[in-house]
Amino acid sequence: MLYDELKGHNFEIITVAEDTRGVQDAGPWMTATALPMTAPVMSPPPAEKTRLTHTALIDQEHLVSKLYNMVNVPTGVWINEQGRIVRPNETAYVDDRLKHIHGLESAPYIAALRDWAEKGDKSAYVFSEERLRERLAPQDPNWSLAAAEFGLGEYLYKTGHLTEAIRHFKEAQRLNPESWNYKRQAWLLSDSKRDYGTTFREEVAKLAGKKYYPSRDLPGESG
Amino acid sequence: MKELRSTVVYDDVAVEVNAAEAEAGHLWLTTDDLARATRFELKPQGVCRNSLCFPLPEARRQEFVRNGSSKTWFNLTAFADLVQQPMACENSADFSAWYFGLRSDQRQELASLQAPDFTLPDLDGKPHSLSDFRGKKVFLVTWASW
Repeated sequence: MLYDELKGHNFEIITVAEDTRGVQDAGPWMTATALPMTAPVMSPPPAEKTRLTHTALIDQEHLVSKLYNMVNVPTGVWINEQGRIVRPNETAYVDDRLKHIHGLESAPYIAALRDWAEKGDKSAYVFSEERLRERLAPQDPNWSLAAAEFGLGEYLYKTGHLTEAIRHFKEAQRLNPESWNYKRQAWLLSDSKRDYGTTFREEVAKLAGKKYYPSRDLPGESG
Repeated sequence: MKELRSTVVYDDVAVEVNAAEAEAGHLWLTTDDLARATRFELKPQGVCRNSLCFPLPEARRQEFVRNGSSKTWFNLTAFADLVQQPMACENSADFSAWYFGLRSDQRQELASLQAPDFTLPDLDGKPHSLSDFRGKKVFLVTWASW
């Protein structure tokens, strides 16, 4: 297991499940032998029930996505010993279970993680401060409003007001059309075809060859 | 001011309040409800929660604070604007709910390259914070069942 291999290098893994229904939806995936960081929507949960060894958290309010301006899953961030971001938001697959769908090889990303575990801030995979500032530039103010609309939608959903919730989920999607999180979490909570006129499969088909995930900043991958 | 029961969701915690709405889109709370819903209190130096204080612009104080006969009212929506806090609301015939998102102080950390702290439960409900792991390299990754 990746965590067991790297923890000796003063290294921790924190996985965060961005699931509005918490344990109900994320739970079945949190007892796997592999880190639960794939999008399991097209396959059943694993049968094996091995206890996870790393810190695996549940985030019903999508707080981490809000704080870090994340728009999809799985999104990885590297944080150094001083609590500073050294590599910003990036698609982070550490296994190839869904490679046949998204096309990203996990090996280059795992190699990068290993390098960072060993070399820390001296790793070539760590971003310079200048590059980080570019990437972490202030976001579109509509994104902030979108987060509030999404948060209200979640509250309304949890208190049984589905019709009103859908209205606010749609507004969040309108204000931040780049967020797959807002779309996919909402689609899960009701009948997506009936309530949003679409499904995840249809939306991916509409990309018509354009990648679902952006390229990673790794050797051999183009922008 | 027209008074009504309302739910305020602040820092993702929902609290029922006896709100008032002087103008459309403005949410006034009593200072008691303000404390209950947001843990912020109106002090001479500003709107404070422990050592975190936001001073109110003196020239515009009446936009934020109104003294009633027995209660003091505070305009939470004007305050949200002041601290660059996004807001969403749902006001229907049966209920009223106001959601307040992250304030500028909560988001600022990203501009300073410091990873924002958070506290979330594990599968057993035990809380863990990012700051628990200060001194170690942390690979933080989100995922979902969807």
